[in-house]
Amino acid sequence: MAEEASTQNKIRSGDTVLLRIPNGDTRSIKVEKDLIVSVGRLGSFSSNELIDQHYGLTFEIVGKDLVVLPPQNIQELEETDATNEHIVGDGSVKSVTPEEMAAMKEAGVHVSDIIKKQIDQHTNFELKTEYSKDKYKKKKEAKYAKVFTTIPPTLFNVCEYWYNKDQGRIRDLRIDALSQMLNLANIRPGGRYLVVDDASGLVVSGVLHRMGGQGRVLTICDVETPPAYPVMTQMNFPQEFKSIMASLNWATCQEDYTPIISTWDVEEDQIRSEKQRIRVNKRRAASDLLQSTREDLFAGEFEALIIASEYDPQSILKRLNKYLGGSCNIVIHSPYVQILSDLQVVMRASAEYLSPALSEVWLRRYQILPGRTHPMMNMSGAGGFIIHATKVYDDPSAVPVEAHRRLQAKLAAEAQKNSDVAPSQQDEGDTAMTDAT
Amino acid sequence: MWSTAREIALGDTVIAWLTRELIQPLVVTPGKDLNIRFGYYRHDDLVGVPYGSKVGSRNGKGFIHVLRPTPELWTMALPHRTQILYLADIAFITSHLDIKPGSRVVEAGTGSGSFSHSVARSVGKTGHLWSYEFHELRASKAKEEFTRHGLADIVTLTHRNVCKDGFTVESTADAVFLDLPMPWSAIPQARKALRKDCLTRICCFSPCIEQVQRTVTALNDAGFTEITMYESLVRPHEVDQVPPMRSVDDAREILKKAEQKREDKRLRQIAATRQNLANKRKREGETDLAEEESHHDTASGKRTKTDEIDDIPQEPISLDHNIAGSSEVADATKPTAKTTVSKAFPEVRGHTSYLTFACLLPASPEVIVDA
Repeated sequence: MAEEASTQNKIRSGDTVLLRIPNGDTRSIKVEKDLIVSVGRLGSFSSNELIDQHYGLTFEIVGKDLVVLPPQNIQELEETDATNEHIVGDGSVKSVTPEEMAAMKEAGVHVSDIIKKQIDQHTNFELKTEYSKDKYKKKKEAKYAKVFTTIPPTLFNVCEYWYNKDQGRIRDLRIDALSQMLNLANIRPGGRYLVVDDASGLVVSGVLHRMGGQGRVLTICDVETPPAYPVMTQMNFPQEFKSIMASLNWATCQEDYTPIISTWDVEEDQIRSEKQRIRVNKRRAASDLLQSTREDLFAGEFEALIIASEYDPQSILKRLNKYLGGSCNIVIHSPYVQILSDLQVVMRASAEYLSPALSEVWLRRYQILPGRTHPMMNMSGAGGFIIHATKVYDDPSAVPVEAHRRLQAKLAAEAQKNSDVAPSQQDEGDTAMTDAT
Repeated sequence: MWSTAREIALGDTVIAWLTRELIQPLVVTPGKDLNIRFGYYRHDDLVGVPYGSKVGSRNGKGFIHVLRPTPELWTMALPHRTQILYLADIAFITSHLDIKPGSRVVEAGTGSGSFSHSVARSVGKTGHLWSYEFHELRASKAKEEFTRHGLADIVTLTHRNVCKDGFTVESTADAVFLDLPMPWSAIPQARKALRKDCLTRICCFSPCIEQVQRTVTALNDAGFTEITMYESLVRPHEVDQVPPMRSVDDAREILKKAEQKREDKRLRQIAATRQNLANKRKREGETDLAEEESHHDTASGKRTKTDEIDDIPQEPISLDHNIAGSSEVADATKPTAKTTVSKAFPEVRGHTSYLTFACLLPASPEVIVDA
């Protein structure tokens, strides 16, 4: 098993690999045998060089080749007396001219030498504090270094990539929100789950990642053919991870749905050509798959329903509620609190949902350089809102303890009345009063 | 792990949900009772009942919900032996450390087992959790729990001080989680426990920023890279339904009415005073009674009239009146629908701990050759 895990941590041909480039951006590239990959300003290289390499390594592009760089740790900075007080930002600082820079690049001078030359010619460099100097060097490296780091395709990294790329397409599902959803839904290998994912497949990816190819996932979508779920591309799932998933759409998941055309059902003796046989068999297989997926849904007893959808969550619950087992976890995400507030009111009024709880997620990252620890100046404010509830079976005959107390009080009052020799008319009046309270 | 059957069976661990604040685990035992302020129950009655059922008490004094345990419910129900980790942190750490089916995880200390249960669920039967606890009683309690919850195959619990004695595994773990008062002192040991043939990860959980700084230095010295630190919180919201907000036009109407009323009252008072004076003059002209008596009469008469004026029911701007007024306005257009509103709870958890993460890259072949 250790063997297996270690190969999974290596880049294989066919993988889609995320690269972090020096300016902090992330690029997604396809690695395939003999494919030349171009990464903008950094230049290009043969993707063969990445195959069988561990994820997480940093490479420098030298010509068309890749050179592995040793891991870099944080450098402690020696405090000096410099205070920046004599630095005037009036553009009078002399540095490397654009012509000199172009010439150096042309001659293939290494980035470290370019930066060194820049520092040498920088008239005010020595006036800077060590912190400023460090910042200056990092800025220059980000600009000129031809290095990149491969990012392991973990759910965390893939979610972060998509969130930064286009958070609207993943419906503001930040990694902290997604993680909470997966935990609240109790996703585990071997479980059975219903997923409604209009977040480009991020939720489906998370669920499949936590199931490791064991169990069953049904997704309900709004397209005719199985949805593309683009986020799954970066996850590089092996086929067996994906094979536990099947999809229905909002029409085919209805119990009274019947396909409109049934010409696929051709009698054996009517098949005239091999081509037609293949076509008929294909249709038959598709129809059988649809039927078995429907039966799977109708069998019910799902352990969790997870929703991140552009459709009204109330309408989704209404459709899918009957397929949820007892104690099933219902987890719903939305970028908007209003939608989930309204939903919570509806769920609260139903005896089928236990304690629907609404919460907002909050996440803050810190810079933790030695002597320079502080929260990041910018943070993501939108991670969305989550409702979690548990599906329960109601028992209308069960009496809440408060009602029981009221009932006891009423019975006691009646007993009191009966023991007195009171006219029956007054007795009735009193009972009515107790009822009113 | 816990039962996945539809119905409850003898010996199952069940979560009895009394209220959101009162959630208690119980092991269904023959002949045992549950006697709480929500009524009286017999364990035997729960056998065969589907998970997720509402169960009425035998004495009709209330009900409970019987739920299937999950690590998240367990976190809410477990007996606290230490400060525990909650959902937001557990979920975030699980994702960042990439804990998934088949993962091999090392954890110190075990504490109350909140994180352990979640990890055990996520790694499944193909993964493993090595958990270390230096407090002997806590270690034995946790061991009992893991066994009772069917985790004996997934979790190996060891009673030891990892800062002094290290871990029992070497070059094995995909991820290490340290929830220790001095995590920096266990980092060299953690490095040993991590496998070297692929990228591995560590998380240190510390409430204080000073701990974080020492931890970061130690991680850096031990060759860990990609050091990041996060804080993750949940803001619970309460949802309410309130009448629609009123327009300031309503307030304007009410104020105008009140002003008019006050003016009317003033005019009535002036008229009454005039009438009074006229009456007085009339009486003075008609009679020759003693002055004192007459004066007394006038005074008392005046007082009576003032009282009368005061008795006219006034309509002060009270809350009730306003609501009645506004609903009249709203009724004119459509029946009053309630608005759903939500706001954060007045008191929430403001800090749990700082989550410091780092990676350990696989040793390059040259390093392995050197060793």
